[in-house]
Amino acid sequence: MTVIHVPRPKVKLAMDTSRPVNSLLKVQIQHLHDAELKLPMALQTDIYINAIKTEGEAGKYIRRVTEAIGDAHAAAEARRTRPALKAKRVIEIAAVADEQAEQKRARASRKKNSTGKRRRKT
Amino acid sequence: MAPGLDNLKHIVVLMMENRSFDHMLGALKAVNPQIDGITDQLSNPDTTGALVKPQPLAEFQGQLDPDPDHHFPAVDLQIFGGDTSAGRVANMQGFVKSYFHQQGDVGHSQKIMYYFTPDKLPVLTTLATEFAVFNRWFASIPGPTICNRAFAHYGTSFGRVDMNLLYVGEPIKSIYDRLIGATPKHTAKLYYYDTTSSTMEITNLLQHQPELFGSYEQFLDDCEKENLPDYSFVEPNYNDHDGDSGAEVASDQHPDHNIQAGELFIASIYNAVKNSPLWPNAALLVVYDEHGGIYDHVVPPACTPDKFSASANDTGTGVPFLFDRLGVRVPAILISPWIPKGTVADRVFDHASIPRTIAKFFQVDNSSVSPRETSADVFIEPNAGVVDPARNLLSLDAMRTDCPEFDV
Repeated sequence: MTVIHVPRPKVKLAMDTSRPVNSLLKVQIQHLHDAELKLPMALQTDIYINAIKTEGEAGKYIRRVTEAIGDAHAAAEARRTRPALKAKRVIEIAAVADEQAEQKRARASRKKNSTGKRRRKT
Repeated sequence: MAPGLDNLKHIVVLMMENRSFDHMLGALKAVNPQIDGITDQLSNPDTTGALVKPQPLAEFQGQLDPDPDHHFPAVDLQIFGGDTSAGRVANMQGFVKSYFHQQGDVGHSQKIMYYFTPDKLPVLTTLATEFAVFNRWFASIPGPTICNRAFAHYGTSFGRVDMNLLYVGEPIKSIYDRLIGATPKHTAKLYYYDTTSSTMEITNLLQHQPELFGSYEQFLDDCEKENLPDYSFVEPNYNDHDGDSGAEVASDQHPDHNIQAGELFIASIYNAVKNSPLWPNAALLVVYDEHGGIYDHVVPPACTPDKFSASANDTGTGVPFLFDRLGVRVPAILISPWIPKGTVADRVFDHASIPRTIAKFFQVDNSSVSPRETSADVFIEPNAGVVDPARNLLSLDAMRTDCPEFDV
């Protein structure tokens, strides 16, 4: 098997977080901003996107909104599981109610029987 | 019988940014004459009328700044050389003129003709010569990134030739929706580099996070632990940033991002797939979304019109566009241990071929797709019925054991 050498870029020369954002990043920021406006207020950032000029600034905004979208979906997922808990509670309540009704019926039956007995006695 | 197709279970697509075929792979014609690359006959006029030949002077960074214009009107000029008449014929003679418009500097405008020599791109050129390189893979639209990437996800851009990507509520589902909604259900994932780079596919990010999305680290992990979905779409790092583990150099190769950082990224994706236990069952397509305004000599062909159209106002050229011709040619390479070394494919493809191939291979519903997707060719044959050996790129009877590896 041939192993091909891959030259590494010199990070100090290649990396420039103060490079002006290119047209693609501008559009990505705009679309994430549109997405951000649909998030719950608590998850929205306070970043003014028109003031984003560099790749470093862009990255910080992109990260916050991407994570916020993830958080929003996680919260929705958590909410989705809550009705199941409620349903369980309803079932439990219903079960307790059934149990109480059963006990009541049993008590009534016992009372009726004892009354009957009493009646029979009388 | 096609053992390569019988074994294939996972298809991975890595889409890079904004480089033309001639710019990245054109020099390979000297290595393999079957590859339709740079010759001495090619040139473009500059604004003084002098003919500028392609030259092997491309540099990793700092040369294509400002970013060459690749919006619809600029690409129209690049393809038609400035001819706006009704009966015009594409001639690929407007690249230098187009770049001149941005700085008004004749010398600088000539840099749009520069290309890389193979020694500068050891990863891309090794993959192109070791596996299958496509001589005729074109961007889907003569326009910018987002509408071209839309073709890779939806098989259409819904009539858009610009950077608008809000497709919520559009009638055609993405290939991811079709896969995860199929019966039996398939698996699909878009892997973005990290949350600071994120994705260009924000519609899906909104609708399907977190089911559809993963990170580059997760991709590496999924390769190692045999958790790759049926279909994976990988996105590079779109911006320079300080990550959790240090400096993260943009790896998308979008001008003026560093080319070598992109080479490293492509190599890491290839190594992850190759070193995975799933290597016998996987195919990796490396493709660029569009040419980024950089010179290529092949005239984009006509294609089946889409059912959508862009108005004269939307195109910015004063002429409507019916999506009836393709964009400029881009580098595309298909990688699998079942592909013979040195394969050169001459059939015509564009990014609509991606959902077309995935949907046909995994046999998901193809009833509500765009005319462009329906007419797009597949780069991996569906493994159902008789497979035409002349079309099957994964044609070896036995898996190769001589595939290269990169030291990343």
